[in-house]
Amino acid sequence: AGIVCRTLSRVVSSQTSCCSSVVSVRHSHWFTSILSPKTSVPLRAEPKKKKKVDPRREQMMKERLKKKLKKLERVPPELIPIEDFITTAKCFDETRVREVPKLSFEETERRALLLKHWSRYKFSQHQAEMAEIKEALEAQRQALEELKIESEDLYKAAIGPDTDLFPFQHQGPCYTPPIPNYEAPDGKYNDITRVYTQ
Amino acid sequence: MAAPFRCIYRPLWRVITGSGRLTVGMRNISFTENHFSATNHKTASVGSPWTLHGAVCLQRLPVISQDRNPIEEEFSGLMQQMELERSLLSDHELRLLEDAARMSRKQEEDYDSDEEEDYGDKEIVTAQDLEDAWEQKLKQFHPAQRSNGDKLDVSSSERCLADSLVLLIKQDVGSQKVWLLPQVQWKAGETLRQTAERALAHLPADVKATFLGNAPCGFYKYKYPKDIQKEGSVGAKVFFFKAVMCSPNHLPLEKNSFAWVKKDELKDFLTPEYLKQVNRFIMSL
Repeated sequence: AGIVCRTLSRVVSSQTSCCSSVVSVRHSHWFTSILSPKTSVPLRAEPKKKKKVDPRREQMMKERLKKKLKKLERVPPELIPIEDFITTAKCFDETRVREVPKLSFEETERRALLLKHWSRYKFSQHQAEMAEIKEALEAQRQALEELKIESEDLYKAAIGPDTDLFPFQHQGPCYTPPIPNYEAPDGKYNDITRVYTQ
Repeated sequence: MAAPFRCIYRPLWRVITGSGRLTVGMRNISFTENHFSATNHKTASVGSPWTLHGAVCLQRLPVISQDRNPIEEEFSGLMQQMELERSLLSDHELRLLEDAARMSRKQEEDYDSDEEEDYGDKEIVTAQDLEDAWEQKLKQFHPAQRSNGDKLDVSSSERCLADSLVLLIKQDVGSQKVWLLPQVQWKAGETLRQTAERALAHLPADVKATFLGNAPCGFYKYKYPKDIQKEGSVGAKVFFFKAVMCSPNHLPLEKNSFAWVKKDELKDFLTPEYLKQVNRFIMSL
């Protein structure tokens, strides 16, 4: 009887489907006749076997994805390039080669002699500096010894560390002295340094 | 100098009666008193016959760079020449060359401006124009003069800007007025560095100085002349502490009692013995 009802409803629906936009419930293939037992949709389909297997399968999928991610992450991060160590392509440009005039014999001689004179001068300067520093250290050492002879307390206070000294800042010498009450012009600049992230 | 390690000193004032003795055995006296000071830890130098003084060696470090020696001038010239020879052409120089080439091409009769590649706006502003503009801008800036000449006398701290100067004070020691580094007697209960800081504070000029550490950098001891020698004080020991002046201070100081002095000018002011000790730690670097 159910089959007969289904075919009848199909015939009816084929005739009336074009005229009525709203298809009644009965004409839909999901719903059989009223007489058939009232069953919800999924019950008619195959019974669900995947209730236990599904979560396990999903877990397996997740683990596989995680393993793949770990494999990818194991790759060491790309090193940040040190821009100072990379010679730019500009340096290898052939159009930039400077024409060097050939040096005469006298010029090369003069240069060699000047370099030797300079090394002697610098050596004597270095010796003098080292001697001065040594002298100052010796003077300090003797002063501390005398202080120790005088009093132990003062000596201990003297050799203790000075916490207020560091960080020590001092403006070094420039070519010209600072202009008093000078207003420096606004120094706007566009910072184009490249910042790398790993 | 292979002298034995003992500070050989002479009294500050040569007593005319001729008892300016050179006691090499001075150390022995201080040794016998030593065990007194060793036992009394609280009252320092109770038995010592020396009065302690703290002095400050205040330095104004150089503000401008020194002038070059002839050898240094020659060498710097050579270095610049060599660096120029070994360098490549920069962007600006290339542009100058291109502009010169373009100008020479323009002068030729068969010049066709359509043959030029696109130069954009380089023809309007040549590299030479840019250079001239930069020169003009530089001329607008007037830096301060390097050397003040000999207008400034010894008491101004803006003398030789290229050297480091030390502050000297004329104090009366005993009966005479002597040039020395500012010193003050030590009081019980303070460290010697605090004494030096006190000495700095006693100056009429308000200077901000940073003391370089807790340790003294040098010392000088002298004996009082016989008539002033009281019981318990044979002489004085002065410990020097180095300090660096932070901010340039332009307060004028009295001419006759203060002096800012270079290392080689020290000998005109200080007594020979004092100078000998002080020269050890004052550096002309």
